Amino acid sequence: MKVDTLVYVVLGIMVCVSLVLFWWFNSSAERRARQLLRAVLTEEQYRHLFRWGYLDIPSPSYPQRFYRVPRAPGIVHLIENGRLQANLCLQPYDEVPEADFVVIHKLMIEADEQTYLLKANRIVPIGTTAFNDGDLVELGRFFMMYHH
Amino acid sequence: MGMLRIISCRGDDRRLWNEQDALAGDAEAIAALREVERIFAQERARGATAFRVEAGKPVERLGQFDPQASQIVMVPRVVGG
Repeated sequence: MKVDTLVYVVLGIMVCVSLVLFWWFNSSAERRARQLLRAVLTEEQYRHLFRWGYLDIPSPSYPQRFYRVPRAPGIVHLIENGRLQANLCLQPYDEVPEADFVVIHKLMIEADEQTYLLKANRIVPIGTTAFNDGDLVELGRFFMMYHH
Repeated sequence: MGMLRIISCRGDDRRLWNEQDALAGDAEAIAALREVERIFAQERARGATAFRVEAGKPVERLGQFDPQASQIVMVPRVVGG
């Protein structure tokens, strides 16, 4: 066998091994994250999340408010009195498996809602009203307002 | 028996401790408890937030390590997206 052929074979094997290790690491992390999700959610919440693709978390501070957290990483909807009031974007600084996103949102909303709201970037949808530093702000129909 | 779960890229890293054994003077249990306390403080210093998660009880944010908690989940530092 020629040397260059041998090099290609070795490189091919290394790529395959790397792919297998990458897949194994990711699936193992995702499995552990699912176990944590299972431990944090009730049976009903867990089933709802996987059936509908989101989880509604009632606000501990505002009775008419809840947060709609998607199963996959993405925007959280803040819904109050049946109306979408804002889209919230918050993510961990370090990379974590998908299932952990739901855990993070749930724990922070339920136990530390004010910090959650302070840290999340807020996108207020078109044509809604929103509170900005305590003042009710009427937004234009065709504009979105970003809060930091 | 308590469990500390630290959310990470590996899913979660778990550490166990047994407060009863530590209080009874078991050297191994005391060492495990000290190690969990050290990891807790280290993660807090890195910006993580700790929550006590127990079945049937509301989630509670923890400022300090509580050896009596049955499960503590540590969430890494979060930022606005």
